[in-house]
Amino acid sequence: MAAIDIPEVHKFIETIPPFSSLTLPERKQLLMGVTMLYVRQGQTLTLKDEAATVHLIRRGACEIRTPKGGLVDQIADGECFGVSSVMAQNPDGLQVVAMEDSLVYRFEKTRFLAMLEKSEAFELFFEHTQHNRLRKLSRSQSNELASPALQLSTPISHIMTRQLILATPEESVQTIAMRMTEARVSSILVVENDKLSGIVTDRDLRSRILALGGSADSLVKDVMTQDPVNLRPDALVMQAQTLMSESNIHHLPIVDEEQRAVGMLTAADLLRHQELSPLLLINQIHRQSSIEDLARVCKQWPALIMNLIVTDMKPADVGKVLATVSDNLTRRVIELALDTCGPAPMAFQFLVFGSQARRDQSLGSDQDNGLMLEREPSADESQYFADLSEFICQGLAQCGIRLCPGNIMASNPEWRLSQDDWRQAFEKWIKSSAPSALLHASIFFDIRCVYDSASEQGEAVNHLIRAMQLEVSKNSVFLATLTRTALASKPPLGFFRHFVLESSGEHKNQLDLKHQGLALINDLARLYGLSCRTYRAGTLDRLEQAIREKLISVDTARNLMDAWDKLNDLRLEAQARHWQASGKASAYLDPKDLSPLERKHLKTTFSIINDVQDIVQQRFLRGYS
Amino acid sequence: MSFALLQTFSEWHRSRQSHKRAWSEWDYLVLDIETSGLDPKHDHIVSFGWVCIHKGVIELDSARHIVLDSAQIGDNVGIHMITDSDVQQQGKRQESVLRYLRHLLRERVLVMHHAPMELGFLKHAWQTEALPSFSVSWLDTLAIERTKANRSQQPIQDGGFRLGVCRERYGLPDYQGHDALTDALATAELLLAQIAYQGRDCRLHDLNQMGGGRVRFTTR
Repeated sequence: MAAIDIPEVHKFIETIPPFSSLTLPERKQLLMGVTMLYVRQGQTLTLKDEAATVHLIRRGACEIRTPKGGLVDQIADGECFGVSSVMAQNPDGLQVVAMEDSLVYRFEKTRFLAMLEKSEAFELFFEHTQHNRLRKLSRSQSNELASPALQLSTPISHIMTRQLILATPEESVQTIAMRMTEARVSSILVVENDKLSGIVTDRDLRSRILALGGSADSLVKDVMTQDPVNLRPDALVMQAQTLMSESNIHHLPIVDEEQRAVGMLTAADLLRHQELSPLLLINQIHRQSSIEDLARVCKQWPALIMNLIVTDMKPADVGKVLATVSDNLTRRVIELALDTCGPAPMAFQFLVFGSQARRDQSLGSDQDNGLMLEREPSADESQYFADLSEFICQGLAQCGIRLCPGNIMASNPEWRLSQDDWRQAFEKWIKSSAPSALLHASIFFDIRCVYDSASEQGEAVNHLIRAMQLEVSKNSVFLATLTRTALASKPPLGFFRHFVLESSGEHKNQLDLKHQGLALINDLARLYGLSCRTYRAGTLDRLEQAIREKLISVDTARNLMDAWDKLNDLRLEAQARHWQASGKASAYLDPKDLSPLERKHLKTTFSIINDVQDIVQQRFLRGYS
Repeated sequence: MSFALLQTFSEWHRSRQSHKRAWSEWDYLVLDIETSGLDPKHDHIVSFGWVCIHKGVIELDSARHIVLDSAQIGDNVGIHMITDSDVQQQGKRQESVLRYLRHLLRERVLVMHHAPMELGFLKHAWQTEALPSFSVSWLDTLAIERTKANRSQQPIQDGGFRLGVCRERYGLPDYQGHDALTDALATAELLLAQIAYQGRDCRLHDLNQMGGGRVRFTTR
C-alpha cells in the first residue's frame, strides 16, 4: 500500500477537524487504504464487515438510525459516521441512510485505530462525536415522538399509492366522476401520451362544474389543473410535506424521470405516516370557525416545534415549517376577522415583517405586522380597518403569537397605511442618513405579504418592494448607513477571544444567541439582500441570491450560512430545554453547558461573523467611513 | 472435441455468463492522459493519471500520476502545471509506463472520459513503442452520459458533457486542479455516480451498451 498523493483529497481533508490537527505525514499515514464510494439518495449502508469503520462525507448528507429506525443524527459534508463501530469494538448496528446522493471516504479500520492511539486531540474529537451521538440515541429512544412514524426522511415511494386511477383529457367529467366514486378516491390523474398532463380532484368537480352550473358532459381537459405540482418517488416525506403545505394542495402526483405517473400521495397518506405533523395542524387550523377554537388547536404549537427539534430537522427547515403554519394561521384569523367585521371597503394586503417575513420563527416569536390599503381611507373606512386589525392582532395573540412589545402591528394606526404612504415611509427611511432612524426601521426591510384581498400574488406588495429596491439602488449612502448599524454590534468574542456574556440580570453569565449571534447574521444578509437586484426575504435565500448575483464569494456565504445554521440549532435546542423545564422559551445559553469542543466550534462560528463584518465594511463603507 | 475448441467454448460461455455479473464484480482502471495537443499524429503524451476501482469502491492508494521523460513542456505549462524540473526529477520512459499499464489492464476494464481522444493517443503510442498487440474492454463516461440524456430525451447544451459539468449533475464536488490524476479521480467518481443512478442491479453489460467497447492496440 502506498501513500495517497492526490492533491484534491489532501486539500479537503486538511480543512476538516479533527484531521486538520494532524501533521502531513500523519494524514498520509491515515489516508493509506482509504476507499471512496458513491451512495445514492435513499440507499442504506449497514456498517458490517469491511464497512464497520469510520467514514467521512466528502459531499452529501446522511441520517444515522437505530436498527429499529429511530433517528439518531443527521450529518453532512465533512462529518463522520461509523465512529462507534471502531471505538467501542462492538458495532452497535446503526444504519446510515443517504438523504442526498453522497460521496464518502472509507478509512481502513486498523490505520484509524492506530491514529486514535497516536493523537490525543484526534481521539478526543471522536470520543466527543460518539458521546454526542449516544446522547442523541438515548434521547431518540426515550422520546416516543421520534418513533419511526415520524420519519421525515422516508422516501415517498414507501407511502404513496401505486394503484392509479387515470383519465384522458377528452373524457367527460361524468365518466371520470363515476370511476372515482367506484374506486373511492378523491382525485384522478390525467394522462396524455403516457405523460402526466393534469389532475382533477373532488374539489375541482365541485367548484369548476357544480358551483358554476356546468354540464356533466364537460371535458376533463377543461376542468383539470394543468401540469400539477409533482415530485419524484425518491423524494423524501419531508420534501413532500413542505411542498404540499406551501402550495396548499392535498394531492401530489408522483412521476418518474419521463414524467410518467407512477403514484399518488395524498394528505391522508402523510397523516397516516405521521401523528403530529405541521400538515395536520394546518388542516385543523383551516377547519376552525372561531378564535377560541383556533387557540385551542394552537396549543399543540409548542409540542409541534419540540417534535421538529427532536427529529433533528435542519434549523432552516424548522423555520420554514413554522412560517408555513403561522402564515396559514394568520390567513385563517384574517378570514374570521372578515366574517365578523364584514367585507372590506377596499383591497388590502396584510404584511408581516421581521422573523415571520424571513421565515425563521421559533418558539415565542412575537408579531410584527402591518396593513397596506389600496388608497387613503375615509373616516368610516378607517374605523373599519381599525376594528379589523384589532381583531386580527388580538386573535393571533390568543393563538400564541405574542403581541409586539414595540407595537409594530396592524392595530397601530401608524402601520396601517395606504400604498402611497408605505412607499413614502420606505423612501423616508432610505433617504434619512440618521443611523438611529434605521436601527428601528430595519425590521421593515424584511417584508412579505401573507394575505392579499385583491390578488393571489400580492402584486401590490411586489410593487412596493420593487420601488424600495429601486430607491436603495439610487442611494448608496443608505447602504453605508445600514452597514454602520449592522456593524454596531459585534459577536461576543472578547479581547482574549473569550465570550463576553450578559453581565447582569436574569441571564447573568449567559449568552444571548439571538441578539449576539443570529441577529448579526440577519443584518449582514439583509445588507447583501438589499443590494441584490432581486428581493428575497429570508436570510439564507438572501445569501444564495447574493452568490447568484456575485456580490459575495461562495465560501464567505457558505461559511455564514453554516454559522447561521449552527446558531439556530443551538438556539432551538436551548429553547426546547428551557421550554421543557420551565414552560418558557429562552434563547439564552450557558456556556458551561457546552463541552470544550462545542465551545470551540461556537467561537469559530462567532469569528466567521466577525470576518464577514470586516468584508462588509470593505464593500459597503469604502469612501464613507 | 479438441482441447482448443473446448477452451474457446468455455471462454464463450464465460463471456455469456459474464453479461449477467454485477458491475462491481469487475475491476476497473480509470485513466486520464494529458497531451501536448489534440492530434495523436503530431502531439504526444505528457503525463498519465489513473486510479482503480475494486469491489465497487475507488481505491485511493492505487492512484498514480506519472510524468513522461519525453515530455516537452514549452507553452503548455499553464494548462497542466508540469514543469521541466518535474520531468527531469520524475520523468518515466513512455515504454515502461505503457508496459506497466498493459500489465494492470489485463484484469481491468479501461475507463475514460471521452474515449476517442485517449484511445487515439494510446494506439499511436503503442505503435511508436512497438509493443506486443493487446486488447482491452473500455467504457466512456461521456458516451454513457450522452446515452442517458438521449434516453430521457433531455437535451443537453453544448459543453454539457464536459467532465465538470457532468459531475455537477450528480452533486459531485468541484475540483480545482486539472492534472491527469485529478481528472482520473473525477472520472472515477462520475462513473460511480452514473452507476448508482442506474440502480442496484447494474451490470457491466448495461454500461457497455451505453458507452463502451473493445479496442485492440497493435504494432502495425
